[in-house]
Parts: sequence; structure tokens; C-alpha cells
Amino acid sequence: MTQSLTMNRSASPSRMSRTLRRRANMAMLYVCVTALVMVMLIPVGWMVSTSFKPLKDVFQIPPRWIPDVITFQNYAAQFNEVLGTLTLNSLIVAVCAAALSTFVGAMTAYGISRFRFRGGPILMLFFMGSLAFPVPLIMISLYGLFVKLGLLNTYGALVLGHTAITIPVSIWLLKNFFDQLPREVEEAAYVDGATPLKVFLFIVLPMARPALAASAIFVFVVSWNELLFGLTFTSSTDMRPLPAGITLIFLQEFEGAWSEMMALAVIVSVPVLVLFFFFQKTFLRGVTAGAVKG
Amino acid sequence: MYSIKRHPWFFALLFAPALLLVGGLLLYPILNGIWLSFTNASPLRPTTDFVGLGNYIYLFEDPQFWEVLGNTVFICGVSTIFCTVLGLIVALLLDSGIRYVGFFRAAVFQVWVVPWIVIAILWGWLFNDEWGIVNHFLRSIGVVDGQMAWLFETELAPWVVIFAYSWRAVPFVMVIALAALQGIPKEIQEAAEIDGAGYFNRLRHILLPLLQNIVMTAALLEAVRFLQEVTIPLVLTQGGPIGSTNVLSLFTYKAAFTEWDFGLAAAAGTFWLIFVILFAGIYNRFALRKSA
Repeated sequence: MTQSLTMNRSASPSRMSRTLRRRANMAMLYVCVTALVMVMLIPVGWMVSTSFKPLKDVFQIPPRWIPDVITFQNYAAQFNEVLGTLTLNSLIVAVCAAALSTFVGAMTAYGISRFRFRGGPILMLFFMGSLAFPVPLIMISLYGLFVKLGLLNTYGALVLGHTAITIPVSIWLLKNFFDQLPREVEEAAYVDGATPLKVFLFIVLPMARPALAASAIFVFVVSWNELLFGLTFTSSTDMRPLPAGITLIFLQEFEGAWSEMMALAVIVSVPVLVLFFFFQKTFLRGVTAGAVKG
Repeated sequence: MYSIKRHPWFFALLFAPALLLVGGLLLYPILNGIWLSFTNASPLRPTTDFVGLGNYIYLFEDPQFWEVLGNTVFICGVSTIFCTVLGLIVALLLDSGIRYVGFFRAAVFQVWVVPWIVIAILWGWLFNDEWGIVNHFLRSIGVVDGQMAWLFETELAPWVVIFAYSWRAVPFVMVIALAALQGIPKEIQEAAEIDGAGYFNRLRHILLPLLQNIVMTAALLEAVRFLQEVTIPLVLTQGGPIGSTNVLSLFTYKAAFTEWDFGLAAAAGTFWLIFVILFAGIYNRFALRKSA
């Protein structure tokens, strides 16, 4: 059957034109894809291009993609104490939130995955639904809570806030992973006399490293992005994370120095882009797993 | 694997931290927030009184609130449609048998991690009326000859926000749709091809129906995320010009932490929550295909 099909095809006089048309179609496809990807990347490319121009060249018409003169002055201007403090604050908060949300998320996800109890599915539904909880509404009560706990203007308020808005996703992501993890290893260790806690800490968690990494990166990116908690729960520069600090300090002093502003924007993007670059596969798997399976 | 009866302590240990965190930082704030919406709570007032539906009545009699709702539905709705359609197109192109799919996917996906504050700054530069590259492009292809004051006209500013939202969300829809496409067995498509179905026929009768649930779910997730989004309206347009980009998230935040009217903000937030729940319910009923 297959053979007769191929023979027919090779015997047909239009074979040449068909391969040609195939080739032309493929070429068109590459052109379309490349064009679309380039359009998507224009904003980022323009940001990088502007950040290397001397200020006077920024206002050239027509604008130039490759600067006539390349300068690092705009980046050098960003190395000041304020930006250093803001970046350090953001790093500390994002790393702590990533650790807390992922570890607590893993415990909960493991519990839901391995214990059979009636509330499990309802809990998962609640976590999914909590993504729609309006953040400003939550913040009203959190504000009162943090005042009582004396957490205002500390890293603690930001870490807890960022954990609250990310832990549902961490739990979903990790529960999907644990559900697919074969249980034989755990059962064997358990039969050999290891306590459930030891099985979890020393056997399950090491096996879950890719999922834990995906969750931690997700939380890090969300925390790095978050503006409202930073604006509201901190009141001094030495506690402010980047988005809030940029809004309240750099943008207030802004007087049209676009090249320096773009250098600042590049610097703020670099940590998450680097993280994405190194953990691309893990991150993509984490993002798709939940949505495609669930 | 484990049962609560045999391992009660392990069960308690696993759930205790989440109970504390989720209970204290999500469940309590949402329930307390709903309660506050029936009061005149404010840090500027020494006492809090029950006011019934007062906050809600005030909101619904305020024309500004209706305007905010209109802006929200318009900006979030159009952005969701844009990012879903574009993301789907990019995914279909990438799954059409070309090589270097991983490279193209990574190139597009990095957009999804660009911080919102960076987008707010960058969009101000791209859409700058005098030296912005968008206006330059429009002038060079002859669409406009002067300047489009993107950030200063009430008809244009919402579009600046929409472009930012759609651009940032395309990669998410693309990645989800691509993963789903790659999960469809190649035999199905090959069989249809042998039967003489052209690409658009296969798209209409095979690919799109198989993708529908996943892509529509991704669209709902993005819509919910757009509702939460606040950086662009807060930093770039400050809700203006003349309230044209004032969306529900910004309105609620400002009512709470600029005007310190917790009761009113809580009512707006509760309304938002009810709106999302109702919308998701209706959406679930009509946009998703039920498996028989």
C-alpha cells in the first residue's frame, strides 16, 4: 500500500513542482516566524540600543538601531548607593519568598498528593480560585495585621505578602509533580523502617529538584515584579524593593534622560533574564505542566 | 499511600505551615475584607461602624466607578483577545514542521519575564510623542504626518496599556498552546492529510477543537491576571488622561491607600471578586468543551 503510493507519486509529472512548492512554503514559514519573533523583540532591542547611546543621539531623527557612538556612561551612572540598596532589598525578599513559598508549598502538595482525604480536591480548587482574590482587597487586612505584628517597613512584610500570592501556584505545580512521581521508592524506604518525615526530606525532596526549581523561579520572578506591597508596606529607601523604589525615586527625578532610564531598565531586567536563560527548560516545563495536565 | 488515622502527626506537620500562611495571609484577609465592605473602616477614623450596603450604594451611584468598570472590561478584554489570538498563531507557526523551534520559543518566551516596571518605563519611551519609535514608524509608512500624543489623548492611552498587556502575555499563551500541539499525535494529522484535507481544513476540524479547552483556559488565566495588573496604569499613565486608563485594580488600591477609605475599597474589591467568580462560572459553561 505504502509502496504503491510512493510509486504513484514519483511517477507523477508534477513531482518537481510539488517539491518546489513545498520548499517555497517552508521558506515562507521561516520568513513569517522570523518576522513575528523580531516584532516581539523590537521593544527589548530598542531598550538595549537606546541604553548605549549618548543622550544627544537619543533624539536623532530618523532613529538609528546601531548607535554611531557607543557609550557605557549610562550604565556607569547607575552605579550609585540608592540603586544598590534597592537591588539588594529586592534580591533578599525574592530569595526568601522563593524559599518559603516553595518549601511550604512542597509540604502541602506532598500531603495532598499522598494522603487520601475528602478535603483534598476542595483545597486544590480553593488554591486555584485564590489566584482571583483581588490583591488590593487582601492588602487592606494584611496592612492591619502587619501593623499589629510590627512588620511594617521590614523585609518580613514583603516576604509574607509575596508568599501569600505565590503559594497557590507553587502548590499546584508541585502537586502535579508528586502525582506523577512513582511511589515504589518511597514505599520501599518506608518498609525499610524510615519515618515518613525522613522519606519526605531525604528521598522525595531530592527527587523533586526540577519541580522545586521551577516553583522557586516562578516565585522569584513574581516577587521581583511586585509593586503594590513594596509601595505600601515599606516607608524607607533601605527597605524598598526595586519597582517601588524606581517609582518613588528615579521616576520622580526623571527629566528626559531617556538613555540613562533605558540603562536602568536593562539592569533591572538582567537578573530575571539570566535566571530564565540558565533554567529555561525547567521553567518552561513548570509553566506548561500545570496548565496542560490540569 | 498514607492514611490520616495511621499518621496523624505527619499529616499535621505537613499542613501546619500552609494552614498558618494561607489561613492568615489569604483566607482571613479575604473574609475580613468582605466584612469591612459593610463598614466605614478607615485608619483615619478612631471607630468602625456597620453601614450596611452604604459603600456599595455609594459606588453604584458614582459615575466614575462605572467609567472604571468600562475601562477595565475594555482594556482587559481586548488584551485577552489579542494575546490569545497572537499566541495561538505563533504556536501554530512554530508547530508547522520548521526547525529551531526551541530557539524561537525561547526568544519569544523571554518577554514573559521582563519586569512590569521595565515595561512601564520602556512603553513611555516607545510611545513618546516626539521621539518615540512608534510615531516614527507610523510617520515613515505615511499613516500620520504629525505626532500621535499616545499618552495624552483619552482615545489613545487605553491602547498603549492594551499593547503592553498583550505583548507581555503572548509568550504565555504560545508556550501553553505549543505544548498542547506537540501532545497531539502526528498520526491524526497525517491521516487527514492523506484523506486530502488542506491545512486550513485540518486547522478548523482537528487542531482548533483539540486545542480549545487548553487555550481557552490559558485565556481565562490571563484575563484574571490582567485584572490584578496595576503597574502600567499606576506608573505610566497614572490612570489618566482624564481617567481613561483608571482600572478597577488601580481604583481599589487608591481608595484604600491614597484616600485611606478601607470600607469603600473593600466594597470595590468584593465587587471585583464576585464579578470574577460569576464570569468564570459563565465562561466555564460556554467556552469550554465538555468531555462526554
